[in-house]
Amino acid sequence: MTPSTAPANDPHFATVQPMLPGAVQPLVWRGAELGGQATPVRSSGWPALDRELPGGGWPHRVLCEVLSPQPALIEWRLLGPALRAVAAGGGQIVVVAPPRQPYMPGLIHDGLDERRFVWIRAEGPAQRLWVTEQLIKANACQALVAWLPQARHEQLRRLQVCAQAAEGLVFLCRPEAAQHEASAAPLRVHATFALDWELRVRILKRRGPAFDGTLRLPSVPGGLASVLTPRLRRPGRLLAGLPSSKEPADVVGRPALPQQRRHAASR
Amino acid sequence: MLWAALRFPSSDATPPADDALHGPASWALQYSPRVALLEEAVVVELEASVRLFGGKRRLRDRIVQEAAALGCNSLAWAPNSLAALMLARAGVDSGFRQPLPDILDALSMQVLSATAPHLTTLMQLGCRTLGDIRKLPRGGISRRFDKALLTALDRAYGLQAEAHQWFVLPETFRTRLELPSRVETAPAMLFGARRLLVQLCGWLAARHAGTTAFRLRWAHDAMASRSAGEGGEISVRTAVPMRDVEHLCRLLAENLARVALLAPVGDLALEALDVVPLEEGSASLLPDDQAQGESLALALERIAARLGPECVLRPVLVDDHRLEWAQHWQPAPLPMPRKRVKPTTTPQPTFVLPEPLRLTMRGDRPLYQGPLLLLTGPHRVEGGWWHRVGPPGAHETRQQVRDYWVALSEHAGVLWVFETRLAGDANAWYLHGSFA
Repeated sequence: MTPSTAPANDPHFATVQPMLPGAVQPLVWRGAELGGQATPVRSSGWPALDRELPGGGWPHRVLCEVLSPQPALIEWRLLGPALRAVAAGGGQIVVVAPPRQPYMPGLIHDGLDERRFVWIRAEGPAQRLWVTEQLIKANACQALVAWLPQARHEQLRRLQVCAQAAEGLVFLCRPEAAQHEASAAPLRVHATFALDWELRVRILKRRGPAFDGTLRLPSVPGGLASVLTPRLRRPGRLLAGLPSSKEPADVVGRPALPQQRRHAASR
Repeated sequence: MLWAALRFPSSDATPPADDALHGPASWALQYSPRVALLEEAVVVELEASVRLFGGKRRLRDRIVQEAAALGCNSLAWAPNSLAALMLARAGVDSGFRQPLPDILDALSMQVLSATAPHLTTLMQLGCRTLGDIRKLPRGGISRRFDKALLTALDRAYGLQAEAHQWFVLPETFRTRLELPSRVETAPAMLFGARRLLVQLCGWLAARHAGTTAFRLRWAHDAMASRSAGEGGEISVRTAVPMRDVEHLCRLLAENLARVALLAPVGDLALEALDVVPLEEGSASLLPDDQAQGESLALALERIAARLGPECVLRPVLVDDHRLEWAQHWQPAPLPMPRKRVKPTTTPQPTFVLPEPLRLTMRGDRPLYQGPLLLLTGPHRVEGGWWHRVGPPGAHETRQQVRDYWVALSEHAGVLWVFETRLAGDANAWYLHGSFA
């Protein structure tokens, strides 16, 4: 019964705690508390997200599903901090069948290393699954990000069984529609972006009680933080006034006048 | 000295071809480098290897067991190779139970090949055993018979040193296998090829080497139609020197899966093309220390064998500020350039489109899943007049004049768009990447 075993974020914990002898306590999991992660975890980079993930970070040895409304929308923004830590530790990062070509100069801003990055182009669901399974089984890369838009749940279960023996992080990026399908992945996260440099993350499935809220995580991608003016830190307001107004809005976003553009191009 | 003699007599009592002994001799090289061919037997000196293999008894048991699998029908141990061979012929398995002369004296003299030319004379003299010959006066033997008989006797009894021509592994590996039955599909050839690969890896282990390329040939059987030709071949290359049977087998399987046989196959041949020295990783004292699974290079190699090398890529940065040329992708096994390019400090997208996508316009505002809000820019990228492609004379340059902007879309996220000038006065907006 050491205080260190009690999750800090659970107020109910203190009330039930004295009822159990010390040796039993760590072995008992209550429905109201967050599941402990028996496997090692890696911090996601946001304390707010870490608090809600079982064990306090992205878990190793299991599949983590990341669902998003569109491919190539938020993947690097969400996974970047964890991948940066992997790259800093000398780990290899392998991406399987990304929806677009990864662009290394931008990923270097996220802390990735071009020498520890492998891109596997795989066409078709069967090939993507095969490659993903081979890499998980080989247990050779410290982080694997695979885009599997058409995986079925029995295929995911097979991957999950393989992943239990692998030591690295395994992220599967899937479309938003997959949230209505069953999945063997123990952690499922839905993420999208908000206009004011935020990620909105919902945890659809985790070991522990269901999580209803939406996490708002600040995130500025790809080195843009250095060029944002105070005005641009809230672009949602600028965009809100944009589509309806017929006359040019007086925002920075408005392209310069045609005469000036021609002048600049002919220079 | 601890000698073992393994006899491989051929059925028709003629001395076996040297080739037949090469297999067992290569096998014996894993126990000791002192392996020699002596008449119809392979003899091995094992004294120095006893401790390595866990003691005399365990080494003996192991060799007896494996020799039986190789087809050896008589095996004997003695302090010297000739005595061991004689004991093996006589069917006595150990020359250590009594003093060696006592054991040898009781053997029939026919077990010593040097007596063969003089067999009739010796019989007429009343000799039956080696002991009988030894009782004859030495001077008489050397005058009446030849020196070879006396030398052989002295060597067998340990009175004179032996000289051996040690067996050396062949410099190149080439072996063939006749399949027990005709094979109709390429993946089924793997069964036979695996036996050849085991031999290849044994040969590599004895040479402390690994292979980076090997070739499997197959010959169509005699019934094949003439149009099918003689056969075919397939070469398999590995990124790192390798002598792991399992990995080579899996690579071969991936390659064979893409082969269509023209006719049934009756014969396989395996050849090592490139052999390079291989330093093996030391075994670890602690069990946890050993890495589970295989290395990334091996896994990628297996994937590249199925998908093709152009599908397993690593990025190479180039010192260029035009987006298309700032990076290129090369097959993963190729070495990375030693010189590293200093990364740019300006914002860059994390995904790019293979080709810039022309955006539709509403007024002078580009649209992509709704109107775009241009956040910052322009970031002028201009250059490339030096970059010529095409044949000389008709070449064109890859010059670009583009103004890049960071744009925000309500649905598509943060985008990297550019505006460029077309022919005449027209401008066009393109989507080139996204800050995902």
